[in-house]
Amino acid sequence: MELILQQLPIVIGALNVGFLQTLKLFFVTLLGAIPLGLLIAFGSMSKFKPLSALMKTLVWVIRGTPLMIQLLIIYYFPGLVLGTPIWGGGEGGRFAAAACSFILNYACYFSEIYRGGIQGVPVGQEEAGLVLGMTKRQIFFQVTLLQMIKRIVPPMSNEIITLVKDTSLARIIALQEIIWAGQAFMKGSQGISGAIWPLFFTAVYYLICNGILTLAFGKLEKKLDYFR
Amino acid sequence: MSILEVSHIRKTFGRTEVLRDISFSLNKGDVVSIIGSSGSGKTTLLRCLNFLETPDEGTIKVNDELLFDAADPTSMKESEVRKKRLHFGLVFQSFNLFPQYTAMENVMLAKKLLAKQEPGYSKEKLAEIEAQAKDLLRQMGLADRMDNYPHQLSGGQCQRVAIARALALQPDILCFDEPTSALDPELTGEVLRVIRELADQGHTMVIVTHEMAFARDVASHVIFMADGVIVEQGNPKDVIDNPQSERARAFLQKVQH
Amino acid sequence: MKKVFALLLAAAMLLSMAACGSSGSEAPASAPAEASAAEGSAAASAEAPADSEVAAIQAAGKLVVGITDFEPRDYKNEAGEWVGFDADMAKAFAESLGVAVEFVEIDWDNKIMELDGKTIDCVWNGMTLTDEVTSAMECSKPYCNNAQIVIVPAAVADQYQDAESVKGLNFAVEAGSAGEAAVNELGATATPVKAQSDALMEVAAGTSDAAVIDSLMAAAMVGEGTSYADLTYTVGLTTEEYGVGFRKGSDLAEKLNEFFAASYADGTMMKIAETYGVQAAIIAQ
Repeated sequence: MELILQQLPIVIGALNVGFLQTLKLFFVTLLGAIPLGLLIAFGSMSKFKPLSALMKTLVWVIRGTPLMIQLLIIYYFPGLVLGTPIWGGGEGGRFAAAACSFILNYACYFSEIYRGGIQGVPVGQEEAGLVLGMTKRQIFFQVTLLQMIKRIVPPMSNEIITLVKDTSLARIIALQEIIWAGQAFMKGSQGISGAIWPLFFTAVYYLICNGILTLAFGKLEKKLDYFR
Repeated sequence: MSILEVSHIRKTFGRTEVLRDISFSLNKGDVVSIIGSSGSGKTTLLRCLNFLETPDEGTIKVNDELLFDAADPTSMKESEVRKKRLHFGLVFQSFNLFPQYTAMENVMLAKKLLAKQEPGYSKEKLAEIEAQAKDLLRQMGLADRMDNYPHQLSGGQCQRVAIARALALQPDILCFDEPTSALDPELTGEVLRVIRELADQGHTMVIVTHEMAFARDVASHVIFMADGVIVEQGNPKDVIDNPQSERARAFLQKVQH
Repeated sequence: MKKVFALLLAAAMLLSMAACGSSGSEAPASAPAEASAAEGSAAASAEAPADSEVAAIQAAGKLVVGITDFEPRDYKNEAGEWVGFDADMAKAFAESLGVAVEFVEIDWDNKIMELDGKTIDCVWNGMTLTDEVTSAMECSKPYCNNAQIVIVPAAVADQYQDAESVKGLNFAVEAGSAGEAAVNELGATATPVKAQSDALMEVAAGTSDAAVIDSLMAAAMVGEGTSYADLTYTVGLTTEEYGVGFRKGSDLAEKLNEFFAASYADGTMMKIAETYGVQAAIIAQ
């Protein structure tokens, strides 16, 4: 116990560094995947058949294969097969490759949620807007959007909480997120080895982070509760 | 001079011919009831008038202005269509109120958006729109419901908000698509009363309805449709009480008993 | 565009499987390239200097060294700087080439992929020269000795003092390690785990009877005064040697051999080894 207390500051310091990387990947993924998902959703609903077929294939491939394989391929494929390691070996390159994989992967999941949200708004809403002389743009922003958001908040909050935990997959390409930082003390790092408790400790970080997210989404859902 | 002139409208969905050679005209202040069994094309006709469907053939004129000509594709450009729609108002069977807005906001939204596009949009203009919306809701008997959201209102109240919303844009012709069909029987009265008041005030209206008593009472003109054609039209007393065609007789017998 | 990407993904999966199957096949591929250079083709001769990794590293100005956190070979000191016997030697080697050194932590399972994918230039982390390693990488001459030894709970250690007695045990070993190879040779059952430290934890937790790890690690982590005071080591299974791995066909390996020789001759290597207490294991160059 005393030993653990001594080691605690070292472990917390390392976990904080790892968690910062986790958070960075989380936010960058959201920032990229939320708009990209909308583009993919519109693409897959397009009346232009080749485009919608293409988007549906993309979504099928990305959702149908493990994120871990996508990480490995996106990071190693350019150097291994094409002979040009575009990402480089440094931490920045690994982060960029991880972010690309996560954005692509999550954009595909988000696009399906968006699609459900858009198609779930009754067609009568658009028609009502049309007969009132509103433009398609006005109808989207003034009428459909908020109804769509209300529909997608619960599935999106699920997906986003999963994202927090999924960031740990990035360590397959040696991105040093919090699980990596915790595991280092099992292997031995900074004079601490064979210690499993730092790894359990990482769980606390995830729990706090997802606790905050759960509260925030709960608030948002409540805020949108004023209409049905 | 007729306010609305519909000539030789034809509409198909795939291979099904939904409307065939539909022609009729309306004078200002006329109230037309369109009756007929479901699937006879009544709703499609209303949707054609409101540009929610595009007829394959025919023309639509309002106040002698050619709004739609199937032979002229330029008359269907979106920006053009938008302006032309404003000649018509449409009240839906299922209200289609915007759930995230209050009764007031539902009535004001379209007018506000239109006003914002014009130069000289100001606080005074907004106040004017607000005052008009309040008047309309009061006229609908909803003075104490203005700040309620649709889910807090009964079906009859929702439909009255929808009527106010359509009236806010001051359309030349107000269309109703079975306005009481989605309502509980005890709530139809309040909506029919409102429509009758509008008729008394001289609004030009096209009403698709199954309420025969109401049609005979309010309409100045009745159109009976079957299988996409107008089978019979004329004075309500003649068409409803004394139909000439076999089909109209059979239909009326069914709905009145 | 997206369909192309999908095809690429599919191709990548196939190719990476093929690459795993025959990592060594890239070496002969460079031979025809040199032959065509000899024919005087302009394009090929333009590529010729690119074949020299020494030149490429010097042009890039840095040597990227793939490592894991593995005391006393490569680890971070309090200032957050990478130190250790291997880290210090790598720094000195880079200096001799006139380039900077960059340490990158990698996942040990992916070391060959990292190397072939050019995300790192060498693996320098107390790497045992197994057949798998020497066939997939261009390796330096061995520079350090090591042994794979059996770890058992101290309470039962006296029952397991020779190779015959440990045959019936369930072993935990690091996947792909020299220890795994040693257990397989012995004919005992082996459970592969992610790291040597995981293997120790298996024994401490009682989920495996014994572990096989390397002696340097064992000295640091097992026995009184360490994290695993209740474990001890008994039999040595095999001895082995450490080397540094480069991409197949790289001229950096030869360059490092020269550097090792010089560094051993002038006493620098021994001095660094003494700093980290590994002088007994050094192999004469």
